[in-house]
Amino acid sequence: MKEPRNPFRLRASEHIESDVTFLRLFSPGVLESLPAEAPLDKVHVLRSAEGGGKTSFLRLLAPTVLLTLHAYRKRDECKELYQWMRELEAIGEDGPHLLGVPLSCARNYATLADLEIDRGRQDRLLFSLLNARIVLSTLRGALALKKLTYPDDLEQLTIEPSPSDDLPTGLPFPCNGRVLYDWAMNLEIRVCDAIDSLGPSNLESSPGHDSLMSLKMITPGSIQFEGAPIAKRVLLMLDDVQKLTRRQRERLFQTLIEARSPVGVWIAERFEALSTEEMLSSGARHGRDYGEVVLLENYWRGNKKFENLVLNVADRRAQSAADVDIQSFSSCLQSSLDGTEWQAKFAEALETVSARVKKLGGEKALFRDWIGARERMEGTPREQVVAWRALEILIEREKRRAQKSLFDAPLPVEFLMEKDDSPVRASATLFISQEFGFPYYFGASMLSKLASSNIEQFLWLAGDQFEEIVAAALIKRPTDLTAERQEAILRQASDKLWDDIPKRVRHGRDVRNFLEAVGKFSQWMTYKPTAPNDIGVNGIAISMKDRTVLMERRSAPTRQDLDKLAEVIASALAYNLLEPVLDYKVKGRKWMVLNLNRLLCVRFNLPPHYGKFKEKKLEELNLWLNKGFSATRKEGPLYE
Amino acid sequence: MNSVQADPARWQNYVLEHGQGLDQFWESHLRAKDRNVLVIVGKGFDPRMCRGVEALLRAGGNGKRDVFAISFDEGPTSPSAVYKDRVDGNWRRLQAAMSGRGTVSESSLKMWSEDGRRVSSRSAANVFNSLNDLGDFSDLVIDISSMPRNVYLPLIAKALYLLDSSGNDSAQMKPNLHVFVSEDPVLDHRIRDEEVDEAADYIHGFRGGLEMEATAGRPKVWLPLLGEDQRTQLDRIYDLVIPDEICPVLPSPSLNPRRGDDLVLEYQEFLFDRLRVEPRNFIYASERNPFEVYRQIRKAVLHYLDALQPLGGCKTVLSAISSKLMSVGALLVAYELKQRDVEIGIAHVESRGYKIESDPTNEDNQTELFGLWLAGECYEQ
Repeated sequence: MKEPRNPFRLRASEHIESDVTFLRLFSPGVLESLPAEAPLDKVHVLRSAEGGGKTSFLRLLAPTVLLTLHAYRKRDECKELYQWMRELEAIGEDGPHLLGVPLSCARNYATLADLEIDRGRQDRLLFSLLNARIVLSTLRGALALKKLTYPDDLEQLTIEPSPSDDLPTGLPFPCNGRVLYDWAMNLEIRVCDAIDSLGPSNLESSPGHDSLMSLKMITPGSIQFEGAPIAKRVLLMLDDVQKLTRRQRERLFQTLIEARSPVGVWIAERFEALSTEEMLSSGARHGRDYGEVVLLENYWRGNKKFENLVLNVADRRAQSAADVDIQSFSSCLQSSLDGTEWQAKFAEALETVSARVKKLGGEKALFRDWIGARERMEGTPREQVVAWRALEILIEREKRRAQKSLFDAPLPVEFLMEKDDSPVRASATLFISQEFGFPYYFGASMLSKLASSNIEQFLWLAGDQFEEIVAAALIKRPTDLTAERQEAILRQASDKLWDDIPKRVRHGRDVRNFLEAVGKFSQWMTYKPTAPNDIGVNGIAISMKDRTVLMERRSAPTRQDLDKLAEVIASALAYNLLEPVLDYKVKGRKWMVLNLNRLLCVRFNLPPHYGKFKEKKLEELNLWLNKGFSATRKEGPLYE
Repeated sequence: MNSVQADPARWQNYVLEHGQGLDQFWESHLRAKDRNVLVIVGKGFDPRMCRGVEALLRAGGNGKRDVFAISFDEGPTSPSAVYKDRVDGNWRRLQAAMSGRGTVSESSLKMWSEDGRRVSSRSAANVFNSLNDLGDFSDLVIDISSMPRNVYLPLIAKALYLLDSSGNDSAQMKPNLHVFVSEDPVLDHRIRDEEVDEAADYIHGFRGGLEMEATAGRPKVWLPLLGEDQRTQLDRIYDLVIPDEICPVLPSPSLNPRRGDDLVLEYQEFLFDRLRVEPRNFIYASERNPFEVYRQIRKAVLHYLDALQPLGGCKTVLSAISSKLMSVGALLVAYELKQRDVEIGIAHVESRGYKIESDPTNEDNQTELFGLWLAGECYEQ
């Protein structure tokens, strides 16, 4: 297989055909988000929006990938990952120690619920279908782990589960793999044929099961090859569990927990699976009986680890491109505006801003020393214009202070130094970009922030930028992407995300109206002359109490007016258009913070940082949803 | 060569008419003898909803002329809900056309399960459960012009299944099966899908062995029939299928000779960068002849079956997000080969509603009605 021209376009793991390419592109840092305690044992739940990275985890533990990793363990690009997997006890010098059994739930299970049979019978058919498929997937994986051919070599496996009342009758244990395969295949065919028939279905004769008896047949000791267990541990990896019906999910969770099997289980699902109520709890609620619920985006949100991770991913992808030799992706992204091409424009801006600040300071003595300090300042035109703009903000703030000095004495320069901190400078930088059209969204760090903790979103954005880098390389132009082009590409991506909302997202037009209100409100707060929130606002918050009202609205007849709002917020959360933070404590109260997806910040010219929000009442949000945001009321304090 | 490849194509010879030719066909067909005709239409906002019924009534002849309308409610929050006035307008137009000519009955299709899953495909396949349900009609016409794909694909398949499974010696009269499609690429382009379902699924009756774990190792070949502005749908169908080989089907020849090229340009990132489709895999089929689409796809499917036989065969998935006319061709392939135990399915993703980009009142004139005769007398001679 030839190397791809733009490897960033190979988005999710399932799009990458070869295991070698998958391993080369896999960044081991992703494994940090795994549950800390017994990650390969117990029942663990992995949740994220689309593209959060769940399927990559599952693929990493597939038998063929582990075998490839073992074979490539001495190669530089695989050494670190191999060490990680050793620590997880998934692999050792002698080969894989783990049999990972992947099983997608994105199949016809949900259809069972549409059959005209009673629910008990539907459940029994669900378990029989799951049992058949778990067994079949395990047998295929077991042969792959021993580099045998499926299904030709099934006779070489011996199946000998511990005696139990729960095993299927009619199967003569111990038996060879072929016998078990035939049993499972016949079971699967009978159920599948019945549910897909255009004619009358013949389900009454299809056998149903009461439990996941297959877990007893796939324990590490139950499957043997040449007299030894096939692996030291077995991990069942259920993917796309959101595609089961709600009842099926609940029955599955309950059964897995009650089974207390030595087989580890991972349940990977997208947020869309969750009900509005679960979504408003941001998928964080879970039972006491199973291990951690890993919310992938939450793990990465707002910390430097995500930036390190995705830039590592980007370097790996860039290095594997077919037509160009690029070792570091970030070095291709221009990261400052101090080049000569910007000097004249900054000088022009400096003239405008300094003149305006001097006028604002007026004839009075109050700001004389501050202005003097700026006039004496040295630095590049960019540094100077930022400093002047920061001074403008500080003067605006002083002018609005409730208590004014009686004597109009000059404010000391030390006072200016104290107030002129990095958040004010950051606001000033944003304001200048907006006023004079300087690029703001550029550089590798900014790119990783705009990915909103979602790896697929990062690959999409980086892929668009890499496309231009490759094109430049092909026509022998410099491969570094200017700040202007980076911003233009990101704005285009932001517009695309925005334009696609009605098509991609449940309640799409309402969701977009709501996000527009949040965006315009944030813009209005951010660009006040005093920059009261320093860097800016890019989110809202509702109290945890109001969140409970939203979740329990249906049991309160007077609050059913909130139905639409609850659905819209839940839908925005499910598609990662709003990023939630629960139980955010401020001044003795707890809040559910709803940050805009960082790529949407580009649309509203907002900064991409986390941490600033403005609290809102449900009534006001309901108004926004129906009539949009209108900047007419005085706003209260901003929490951070 | 196995038996499937040796067998002649079921629709090797076919009846397809459009425009004036279709009018003449129906005049002659209805004049030949008294015929009772049942037209099944979708009750929707599409201005083409009544075109088929009106054309049929214009053709004259004796016998019953009844209409069975299927209404589909996507719910109060559906983006299509704003077009209720158009639906009512179409309904009045239909009632007026049928006044004094026959009865109009209506049945509502269950689109969603109680827990919010789409069940329209299964519901559509259960609209009729036996030929008796169809009554004593000599001709059954399914007008798909204002029906969504996940309704008309299983509906046509079920009708074919009932006709095929009744046997030749059945005492029950077997009606002729016709399909009407009002084709208008300009109008189609203006009706945009909104709120595409979160996930794609297989059309009921066409899951085939595609989801069987026992044969999960068999290569999957995906033949998407490409249409404009369907990127989200393609993404979601791809996520369902995860194919090993992709053969996109392009409309060529087409009224707009550049249409195929435009589609390749529209999807170039998806097809070449992301999925790395080989240019030689493209299949070309006429946008105005569903039987040509049928022939080309059938040939490709049989070729893959033959070529991959040493590996245990393959599974084939079709998805028809192109024009409705072309989608019927895909359905015919899937239906015929499924009856011969080929693992073939149809993957699709529906949307919760539609948005009409501009007022289509004048566009009715550009519409061309196509008629396909799928089963009955002409194939028995």
